[in-house]
Amino acid sequence: MYCIETINLSHRFAKNEPVLNKINLQVPDGSVYGFLGPNGAGKTTTLKLILGLLKKQDGSITVFNKSIDGNRIEILKQTGSLIETPSLYTHLTAAENLAVWQKIYQCSAKRNADVLETVGLSATKNKKAGQFSLGMKQRLSIAIALLHNPALLILDEPTNGLDPNGIIEMRTLIKRLNTEQKTTILISSHLLTEIEKMVTCIGIINKGELLFQGSLHELHAKQQQSSTILFETSDTGRTMQIMQDLSLQPELKEGMVNLRVTGKNTIAAINQQLVNNQIDVFQIYTFQNNLESLFIDLTKKNA
Amino acid sequence: MSYLHSFQSEWLKTKRSAAAWLTLAGGLFIPIIILTDLLLNYKTLPVAYTAVHFWERHFSRSWQFMAFFLLPVGVILASSLIAQLEFRNNAWKQVLTTPQQFTTIFFSKLLVIIVMMLQFFVLFSLGIYGSAIIPAVLLQAVPFPAAPLHPAGFLKTTALFFIDCLPIISLQYLLSLQFKNFLVPIGIGLAIFMAAVIANSWKYVYLNPYSYCMVNFSRLQGRSTVNVPLHTFALSYFLLFVVVGFVLFIQKKEKG
Repeated sequence: MYCIETINLSHRFAKNEPVLNKINLQVPDGSVYGFLGPNGAGKTTTLKLILGLLKKQDGSITVFNKSIDGNRIEILKQTGSLIETPSLYTHLTAAENLAVWQKIYQCSAKRNADVLETVGLSATKNKKAGQFSLGMKQRLSIAIALLHNPALLILDEPTNGLDPNGIIEMRTLIKRLNTEQKTTILISSHLLTEIEKMVTCIGIINKGELLFQGSLHELHAKQQQSSTILFETSDTGRTMQIMQDLSLQPELKEGMVNLRVTGKNTIAAINQQLVNNQIDVFQIYTFQNNLESLFIDLTKKNA
Repeated sequence: MSYLHSFQSEWLKTKRSAAAWLTLAGGLFIPIIILTDLLLNYKTLPVAYTAVHFWERHFSRSWQFMAFFLLPVGVILASSLIAQLEFRNNAWKQVLTTPQQFTTIFFSKLLVIIVMMLQFFVLFSLGIYGSAIIPAVLLQAVPFPAAPLHPAGFLKTTALFFIDCLPIISLQYLLSLQFKNFLVPIGIGLAIFMAAVIANSWKYVYLNPYSYCMVNFSRLQGRSTVNVPLHTFALSYFLLFVVVGFVLFIQKKEKG
């Protein structure tokens, strides 16, 4: 079952090119969904549409199995969000900032202390938000998003501007929320390395197109498929010919013959053929794409 | 109930804000100036305090500066600053993703501005009274005002001044919801106000929604040629700007 589902979601600003083109986002219940894409890919626009901050033009959005049209308030009662920069009243203290939202959500005053504890800001509750570091501001914003104990948390680039320690803290917090409170979390980022350690599902978007969507396991499988075997031989031309005779599709890259990953037996057979044809084989090795280069590959192909 | 909770939330945001300080300082500024003047000229007070029309004169003197300059400018600044709290703190997106109707958000915020202005009027009225009484308390030679105070009359005049500044509140609110840069609504507001000042003696000055405090004061002094139901005009403009402001707010394609 999906916590968030969009069908053919499209959006354009004024007369410009579409910012989103038929996005079919499927965020499973209880998952940590990493929404990845370079800057300007359409991540924030998608999240704003889901939260009702942008007027929907084409397609449909369902959250908790309810259409956003006509159910905005009901959906928002169970949704916490942090979009782009922190939304804090800098002239108010951390505790007062929470009190502003607590009045609306009508949750108990004790909940304010609980969420401050969760994000590790209890000691600074009487400090003005304007005096907070960016990391503390992000944490306080997450505390606000958690105040009403939402079933869904939408975080748009929450690690932006954080130092490595801040990123680790954020990651730990998100994992804890997901495992302990079963909160479904949709988190966007432009850096795969930042979120790959905490997400269970991934969606990759670029130029308004959803290029990949699936579990982390599926992404790893794609990574395997995109790995290549490199052959460095004394005669690249004949090496290519031998491979083509075996119905393979080699490519020449930087003086080496490049082949999509194939079975061990095929590699042995190619090697055998090369040796039989008096071609010296200097090295054969597997070049495995890491997830980051896979992400770059996917987004480059779409560029 | 949702309006009450929303109002409480909005009111909390004004704590220690520039708008709150402005309300406090604006309400007490003229009474303090007048009190200082009275204390500096204490020798004339024993006679002045026995005058039959002491309160009318004191009230009129206090309202003169307020109605002609401080009130319109103060309202322009305070109304704009309230909406700017959200822009300045990137908080619109957070406000608009709370489970509240857009109508509730719009009117709660407007109500906060109106209540803040009421607070300003109460402070100013207490200041007027205090600035007259304090010299009599502090200085032995100064008697308490001999003339009776007519609270009902003063309250009515104050209430009418409040109605006269409602169009400024509503138009500034409308403008400050539309522009991220707070200088734009303040600039437009000051330009409309300056136009009202320049056209003060013109018989159609009442068409300018920012002119009513000035015209009302001139009328109280018997110096105005404007002969229209001024407060009805003020209320009509107020309603018009609130409706237009509300429609523009809910029709915004991109919120937050």
